[in-house]
Amino acid sequence: MIQLNNIEKYYANKGIKNYVLRLVTTTIKKGEFVSIMGPSGAGKSTLLNIIGMLEEPTYGTYEFLGEDVTSLNERKRIERYRNHIGFVFQAYHLIDEMTVYENIEAPLLYKKVGSAERASRIADLLDRFNIVAKKDLFPNQLSGGQQQLVGIARALAAQPSIILADEPTGNLQSAQAEEIMTLFKKLNQEDGITIIQVTHSEKNAQYGNRILHIADGVVKEDITVA
Amino acid sequence: MFQLNLKIALRNLFRNKVYAIINIGGLAIGLTSCLLLLLYAGYEWGYDKQFKNSPHIYQAMINLNGQNGEVMRTIDQSQNVMLGALKQEFPEVIYGARVTDVYKRLVANGEESLKLSSRYVDADFLQLFNYDFISGNPSKALTDPNSIILTQTAAKRIFGKTDVLNQKVRFENQVDLKVTAVIKDLPTNVTYGFESLTTWTLYENLNQWPKKPNWGSHDYYTLLKLNEKTDVAAFNSKLKGFISRHFSAAKEDVFLYPLTKLHLHGTFLNGKSIGGNIAQVQLFVGLSIGILLIACINFMNLATASTQGRAKEIGVKKTMGASRTNLIFQFMLESFILTLISILLSIMMLEFSLPMFNRLLGIEIVFDYLNPINWLLIFCVLIITGFISGSYPSFYLSGFNVIQALKKTLNFKTGYGLTFRQVLVVVQFSFSIVLIAATITIYKQIQFIKNTPLGYRSTGLIEIPHEGMLYEKFDLLKTRLLSSGAVVGVTQSSGSISNKNSSISGLGWDGMAESDKMIDFDQIYTTYDFIKTTNIKLLNGRDFNRKFASDTAALLLSKKAAEVMHLKNPIGARVLYQGAKRNVVGVFENIVWGDPSKVAGPMVIAYADISDVITMRLNPVKSLSESIGVIDKLVKEINPNFPVEIKFIDGLNEIKLKNERILGTLANLFGCLAIFVSCLGLFGLSSFSTSQRIKEVSIRKILGASILELMTLLSLNFIKLIFIAIVISLPIAYYIMNDWLQHFELRASLSLWMFVLTATLTLLISILTITWQTYRAAKTNAVEALKYE
Repeated sequence: MIQLNNIEKYYANKGIKNYVLRLVTTTIKKGEFVSIMGPSGAGKSTLLNIIGMLEEPTYGTYEFLGEDVTSLNERKRIERYRNHIGFVFQAYHLIDEMTVYENIEAPLLYKKVGSAERASRIADLLDRFNIVAKKDLFPNQLSGGQQQLVGIARALAAQPSIILADEPTGNLQSAQAEEIMTLFKKLNQEDGITIIQVTHSEKNAQYGNRILHIADGVVKEDITVA
Repeated sequence: MFQLNLKIALRNLFRNKVYAIINIGGLAIGLTSCLLLLLYAGYEWGYDKQFKNSPHIYQAMINLNGQNGEVMRTIDQSQNVMLGALKQEFPEVIYGARVTDVYKRLVANGEESLKLSSRYVDADFLQLFNYDFISGNPSKALTDPNSIILTQTAAKRIFGKTDVLNQKVRFENQVDLKVTAVIKDLPTNVTYGFESLTTWTLYENLNQWPKKPNWGSHDYYTLLKLNEKTDVAAFNSKLKGFISRHFSAAKEDVFLYPLTKLHLHGTFLNGKSIGGNIAQVQLFVGLSIGILLIACINFMNLATASTQGRAKEIGVKKTMGASRTNLIFQFMLESFILTLISILLSIMMLEFSLPMFNRLLGIEIVFDYLNPINWLLIFCVLIITGFISGSYPSFYLSGFNVIQALKKTLNFKTGYGLTFRQVLVVVQFSFSIVLIAATITIYKQIQFIKNTPLGYRSTGLIEIPHEGMLYEKFDLLKTRLLSSGAVVGVTQSSGSISNKNSSISGLGWDGMAESDKMIDFDQIYTTYDFIKTTNIKLLNGRDFNRKFASDTAALLLSKKAAEVMHLKNPIGARVLYQGAKRNVVGVFENIVWGDPSKVAGPMVIAYADISDVITMRLNPVKSLSESIGVIDKLVKEINPNFPVEIKFIDGLNEIKLKNERILGTLANLFGCLAIFVSCLGLFGLSSFSTSQRIKEVSIRKILGASILELMTLLSLNFIKLIFIAIVISLPIAYYIMNDWLQHFELRASLSLWMFVLTATLTLLISILTITWQTYRAAKTNAVEALKYE
């Protein structure tokens, strides 16, 4: 599904290159649940951003679903956001002015999904995540865990094939974090959604089936979890 | 999608109330002024265009030529025989009408008598202008010489009703006329307005001069309708030499000018139109666009300044698959919602401000809610405003990079360069500063002219028209008035002391050059006590005196007249005046007669029993109302058929500055609005920028900065912008106002203090505006601010 070849990312400053990623080559197959781990500043988030096409690598090629997407124009990139990729953020990043319902609905609107279809999908997601009662509340009326649930529901609404999560539980207490991770695992196993998460926590990484250890921009270890 | 965006936009408005109020308030003020000025421009633009025939009506204009055939002056009045001659010789002229100037004529219905603005016209006048007839027949209304047409309001004033067809009225206390038609009141934006119309034949019957064919005197307006296919330029070239063919002594040429252009382009130089009221219309349209722009800039600035709050939203939406177009649409929608709310508000404000505006300009504009043109106008303003204010924010905000937006690391450039937003603030303030400087200059000029000595004492001076029985019984009136003690001086004269109404050339005196014949002297006829009553300062000699029988052929010269005549000993000089030699008995100080901004011309005061005006000096020791009551009673006793109209010379002089005063009031009003709206924007901007720098402020505070230091730090960026605006706009203001002042012969000088005052005012106002924000920021609890990092 994802093929990274010799990805490099550096920032040139006064002629000195500051490498963030060096020669990263890896393949992620459909249905995998990959955790990217490593110390602060190792390049985890940058790698995730490159996979999510939010950043372009300085060097190397990136194939997504068999297509070279190393540098896409905006229109094509947006097409992939609409249909294939769902983002989950550490700070949830729900839109404050929208209710829970509207937050989940927004990606469907951009994808131009018909209203009946939209209603049924949202109802389904609300039901599944047990947040039907909260659908008319605004983000600031929810706890962190609930906000992240909405964040995930929103990411799933467009029925993406892959979810990219940047420290999804970083702002949560452990009980809530566990709940979210269980949900991810379930989505991966039952629905076959590919998930790539960046995490600091060894415990969270165990929910997935593969761990990429990164340090100083280089993939140090690639472990398959039993 | 649209619905959701709409909902969010409204929620955003409710959440950020200050932001919403500043934006909507500013825009509404801008839109109101814009609509007001546009309505006014439309009103001026529509002058004389209301009639079916409007595009084909022409006025005969006359170019007066000088010695070498060059055009000296263009006048809009022509001879009484012009129309007949044109009709006879040119088949292109279909019909036409002579029209007199508008005069107040006495119209009476039994005891009820009042004065109506009236014109004598040829019957075809009603063909030229298709007025709305309430009763009567346009084709017959002016056929009987003793007919009168009244407007609705005039009919109501005389009869108390409009259903007055065939009723009789007494006209000028001389003849009975029959009402042959009542028409709807005319719009005020017509050149030939009136309250009543009477026939040309009546005019000829009541007076001798109009009847006699006369190519030498230009007294009437000649309006005519040309065949619609006529090429006017070609027709005008055919008219070359037309007048001299009829009157060989004439050095003048007639040409036809479209009536619809007369009001806006009615100023001529060298025989060519060089503008007219169009300048004022252009000025107003410019002003309206400027003020609207200032309001739009507010919107742009506030929208882009609130970036940080919205960066997250934009980033997230982009990851959800929102295209740039989606986002642009969203921001445009927000701008349109704001504009729509503002425009609704501004229609309400318009409704309140129109009466005041009308009173100020002496016009009658109404906002006609049923007229689709008005709504089209509003719609256009809505689209333009919404688009202008939405454009920059949409493109700017939608262009954010997702990662930076989400990490809140959007870098806002600092340093010496100016961002677009800062440029906008500079533009806003530059515009406002120019308006403030203009206001100060205009007021200074008005003050300057008011302080120019008149040459006589206008306070306590009043005048009434000399009419009716007052001619026969003038001496009786004078004796009674003086003995009543209400006045201390009474005199009669051919014109008011306040307004120029007559001039003469061709005077002769010893030692004059041939060219001196062309000198134009202002002239007033009077009998006795003119100098005494008006308190004109006599420099030499004396006033006309009953004791000297020869004074009936005497003359007074103004100082300027004695100068241009190069008379060493003016007293006793003999001057050829209207074909007779007259003795100069006195020289008086120049007086302001007519346009107060012009240098006084040479003037003669001649003894002659020709009078239109009675001027009196009120007794200073008596109370004003008492004296006026006495005068009113005495005049009424002698001249019962005429209403008594007392005018104060001070008031008449005041009217002469009306245009300047209006301009001053408008500059002041819109200058204040412009600066207010600019300051609203500045307030919003400073609030955003201080909230962004709150962390920096807190850290500095911990490091020991004082509140004053912090406030200075926060204000400095804005003060810098105001300074730039001042530097840019003052030269512009200087240039514009210098240009404006050139219109006046007597003009105030532009002095440094005016510009220093403008700059100081602007700085002061802007500092006051941002002080509240900076003070609040400087007072924040540092711990609170730093805790959330």
